Amino acid sequence: MTAGPLVVENATIGYGRVAICEGLSVDIPEGEFTVILGPNACGKSTLLKALARMLKPSAGRVLLDGKDIHSQPTRAVARRLGLLPQSPIAPDGITVADLVARGRYPHQGILKQWSAEDERVVAEAMAATDISELASRGVDELSGGQRQRVWIAMVLAQQTPLLLLDEPTTFLDITHQIEVLDLCAKLHREGRTLVAVLHDLNQAARYATHLIAMRDGEVVAEGAPADIVTADTVRQVFDLPCRIIDDPETGTPLVIPKALASARL
Amino acid sequence: MIRLRGGSIRLRHRTIAAITGALAVLVAVALWSAGTGSTALGLDRTWAALLDEGTKGDEFILWDLRLPRLTTGLAVGACMGLSGALFQNLTRNPLGSPDILGLTQGATSGALVAIILTDASLQLTAGFAALGALATGLVIWALTRGGDPSGYRLVLVGIGVAAILAGVNGYLLTRTNTVDAFRAVHWLTGDLSGRDWGQAKTVAIVLAAGIVVVAFLSRGLDALRLGEASATGLGVHVTGTRVTALVAASVLTAGAVSVAGPLAFVALAAPHIAARLTGSTRSFMLSAIIGALIVTGADMIAVAGVGDRQLPTGVVTGVVGGLYLVWLLIAQRKKEVMS
Repeated sequence: MTAGPLVVENATIGYGRVAICEGLSVDIPEGEFTVILGPNACGKSTLLKALARMLKPSAGRVLLDGKDIHSQPTRAVARRLGLLPQSPIAPDGITVADLVARGRYPHQGILKQWSAEDERVVAEAMAATDISELASRGVDELSGGQRQRVWIAMVLAQQTPLLLLDEPTTFLDITHQIEVLDLCAKLHREGRTLVAVLHDLNQAARYATHLIAMRDGEVVAEGAPADIVTADTVRQVFDLPCRIIDDPETGTPLVIPKALASARL
Repeated sequence: MIRLRGGSIRLRHRTIAAITGALAVLVAVALWSAGTGSTALGLDRTWAALLDEGTKGDEFILWDLRLPRLTTGLAVGACMGLSGALFQNLTRNPLGSPDILGLTQGATSGALVAIILTDASLQLTAGFAALGALATGLVIWALTRGGDPSGYRLVLVGIGVAAILAGVNGYLLTRTNTVDAFRAVHWLTGDLSGRDWGQAKTVAIVLAAGIVVVAFLSRGLDALRLGEASATGLGVHVTGTRVTALVAASVLTAGAVSVAGPLAFVALAAPHIAARLTGSTRSFMLSAIIGALIVTGADMIAVAGVGDRQLPTGVVTGVVGGLYLVWLLIAQRKKEVMS
């Protein structure tokens, strides 16, 4: 089996002296839409931060294209790997076009600050996320769903084959959650490798092509949703008794939590 | 796409227009300031003296008295504007400035030590003040190391350091004799009178170095405004950028304060005024120009003085800056009430 573009090798990852994951090994397959899920505090965001080089493992390594990610120049990494963090900050009064343009940072230098190429890529990123009409609007005037598409456009303007998304749907209502996930699915179909942390098991099962289920800092199950979303795994990962049926829309597994005996009439 | 192009060019136009406008005002104020004072030269005599075609007396007044002071004021103001912009960017906090963070108080401690322990020549006082500011910068860096300096953390640490140093400074003042105490109070107010070319050159060198460093940092600092995570994702060397910015801001403060004393509020007000002129894009250059403008303008008022007495420059920047801060708070409150 060939290693994917992003590999975690026997890594201990945590904050300060507190290790969240110990001896963790994960292989992100190329060209897949990988979703990491698990209960709160299972280490899924920690894993994503390690993949994004925001956390440096105290033991073990994270490899990007076979080389230690921390030994590569950070701007070179930023041309391979884009990151949408959980709560990015939009500077006061910034316009959509200006925010998206920030995505060009790793392609620019002190002497080459803005080129026709930058202009074109930013326009494309806004078109791909359907925000071209919002270009001159202030980011703080937008709805949560629009804003999330602006941030995704910024990451797209980075033109990276790999995209990491840390809970991209968390603060959105259901319509905008689906909208963002549909956008992710589209980006995946266009050939990018995506890694996202998601909360919602059924959304994960519907959109992911590869699932990584975590608990207590360890990978419990890994594989295609159809193979690993079983009543057993769900109980193992979430302590949730459930039944699995086929999603009538997509045929992907759909998790139906069991009702308590006392609630069943 | 057309709209995008219009949008981004319009914004950049606004920044360029603001910089051009501020520079024009600065040149006008500088020329005017060179021509006024206890002996009014007027524009024609100033111009003649500038071009080496004036009388000996006029040339002495201009080249030996006014231009060194003017140049010092311009460079000091620009250093303060730049350092204020760096601190506000680092802390992502409108209060992030060397005055609030304790650097100015650190410089004061250094200057007081020099005034009490030595013959208190201008050079020695300046050197000690610079050391004091740099040491404070180092302490603040050590205390916030590893943490995110944005939000309230760095500001609170700075306020703590400033409070301690204010106590130290108060103690030092009680240990002085009358002559030294008078000197110390004068230094504490901040003044540009009697500055020579040597001092002008020192600040100008610090400013030039600061401008070069900021030119390299500004894009990374701009990306850091999106938060640490986004900046990392974009390929910014987060810790390196922050440490370099903190060092640069401390050196700029040290250079400015050592020569002119702690001119109040310049570093705090300049970046705010600059931001108001350019909207969401931040321009370090504009903040430096505005800083120079505030100090030069304030110095002109100080020279004109009250009655026939000249004022220390710091008195004017303090009053103007204080009024500005009050206005800023009122304006912000109005905005909050409205939204």
